[in-house]
Amino acid sequence: MNSILTGRRILLVEDETLISLMIEDMLVELGCGAVTSAATANAAVGLVSRQAFDAALVDMNLNGTSSRPVVEALAARGIPFAIATGNSVDDMWGDFRDRAVLRKPFGSDDLSDVLARLLRTERQSSIQ
Amino acid sequence: MPKKSKQQIDAEADVQGFKNELGPFVVAAETTRMAMVFADAKHPDNPITFANDSFLSLTGYARAEVLGQSFNFILAHAADAEALQKIDHQFLAASDAGAEIRYRRKDGSEFWAALFVSPVRLEDGEIVQYFASFVDLTALKVEQAHSRALIDELNHRVKNTLAMVQSIVWQATRTATDPSVIREAIESRLMALSRSHDLLTRANWEGAGLVDLLHDALEPFRVDGRADRIAIEGENIRFPPESALALGISFNELATNAVKYGALSNSTGSIHVGWKLESTGQGRRLVLQWREKCGPPVSPSLRKGFGSRVIEHGLDAFGATVELDFRPAGLLCTMSIPVPEGAPHE
Repeated sequence: MNSILTGRRILLVEDETLISLMIEDMLVELGCGAVTSAATANAAVGLVSRQAFDAALVDMNLNGTSSRPVVEALAARGIPFAIATGNSVDDMWGDFRDRAVLRKPFGSDDLSDVLARLLRTERQSSIQ
Repeated sequence: MPKKSKQQIDAEADVQGFKNELGPFVVAAETTRMAMVFADAKHPDNPITFANDSFLSLTGYARAEVLGQSFNFILAHAADAEALQKIDHQFLAASDAGAEIRYRRKDGSEFWAALFVSPVRLEDGEIVQYFASFVDLTALKVEQAHSRALIDELNHRVKNTLAMVQSIVWQATRTATDPSVIREAIESRLMALSRSHDLLTRANWEGAGLVDLLHDALEPFRVDGRADRIAIEGENIRFPPESALALGISFNELATNAVKYGALSNSTGSIHVGWKLESTGQGRRLVLQWREKCGPPVSPSLRKGFGSRVIEHGLDAFGATVELDFRPAGLLCTMSIPVPEGAPHE
C-alpha cells in the first residue's frame, strides 16, 4: 500500500457504473479516506465547486460528451488529476497534453502509481 | 485574362495538330470520364495546353481559364512542399503508382486526386508534352475517414468493455471463495452484457425498446415454470444504446436478486414491472416500478451488496434516480429516468 494515499479525498468521474464501482473499491483498498463519484460532467463540476479533494481521476468521455469542463474546473483550483481513457490513439486536449493518463483497462497498481505521483508532485510544488 | 504568349499559342497549335491527325482518339480524350490535361514540356511551369471536359467538371473551371495556366495552379496549397515533390517525381519518373495530391476547385473547395503523368516524346526522344490524368479520390477519402472513425470507436468500446469485464471478475472474486459461485457470478453478468449487445446489434445500434430490453434481460430467468410469474406492462419506449446497455445490466441484477433472495426464490412469488411517462418540472421522465410480492420475507442483509450498488447507481450517467425499497412484503425498485421530448416508440 502506498502510504501517501492514506486518508486522501478522491473525486472519481466515470460514467460506466461497473467500472466506477470497481475503481471505488480499488481506491478504498489503497487506503483513500473518501471516494466521491460522479457520472456526469455537471455533477462533477458541482462537486469540485462545493467540496475539497486531494486528487481526481476523470474519464475523458462521459456518455458521448467531453469531460473537459471537469478538467478545467480542477485545473482552476489546482487539484491534481489524471485522465482515464479507452482510446489508444493520442487525442488528448492540446493544453492538457502533459497530464497523467491512465489507459483502460488498468489495474490497481497502475491506479496507485499514478495517484501517488500526482500527490508527490503536488507536495513538492507546495513546498516550493 | 492575360494575353497568351507566343509559346503558349504554339503549344496549343501543336495540340490542335494532334486533333486534326488523330480525330477519334482526341474525341475519346475529350469525352472520357477520366480528367486529363496536356502540359507543355518546354516551359518550366509546364503550362496547360489541353484540358478535357472531365477535368473542367472536376475543377469547376472554364476551358479558357485553364489553358496557359501553370500545371500546378489548382494545388490546394501552392507552397505544399510534399505535394510539389510528389508532382516533380511524377514528371521525372512517370511512376505507375501515381501520387495523391490535394487540389482546390474554382469554388475554393478542396479534393484529393491521384495524379498520373506520362511524357509525350518525339521520335528522337525529346519530351514535348506531358500527359496527366487525375482520379478523383473524394469518395475514397470520405470512406477512409469513416473507417478510421469506426475503428477508433470500436477500440474505445472494446477497451471499455474489457474494463467492465475486469470489474465483473474483480467483484466475483472478492465476494466469494467457492469457484462454482465465482464462475456463476461472472457468467451471469457476461451473458447479460452479451444479450444487450445482441439486442442493439439487431437494431443497428440505434437503440432498443424498453419492452424488448426487459424480455431479453429476463429471458434466462423465465424457466422452471416462472414465465407466468413475471408481468411486464408499458409502452415500448426506445432508449439510446448507452442507456439501453445500462438498463439491461440493472434488470439482470434485479432478476438475479429475485431468484436468489426475492420473489422468484420460492414457488409463489411474482414480479410486476410497469412504467408510465410523467411530465415534471425538469422535463419528461419515465417512472418505472419493479414490484415483487409473495416472496419470502425480505432480509435486510442484501442491502449493501454489489448488485444493489449496480442497481442504485447504474443509471447515474443518464440523470436518473433509482430507489431500492426493501419492504417486508417484497422489494420495490423505482427508477425515474429523463426521456427526451418525442422519444420514439419501437
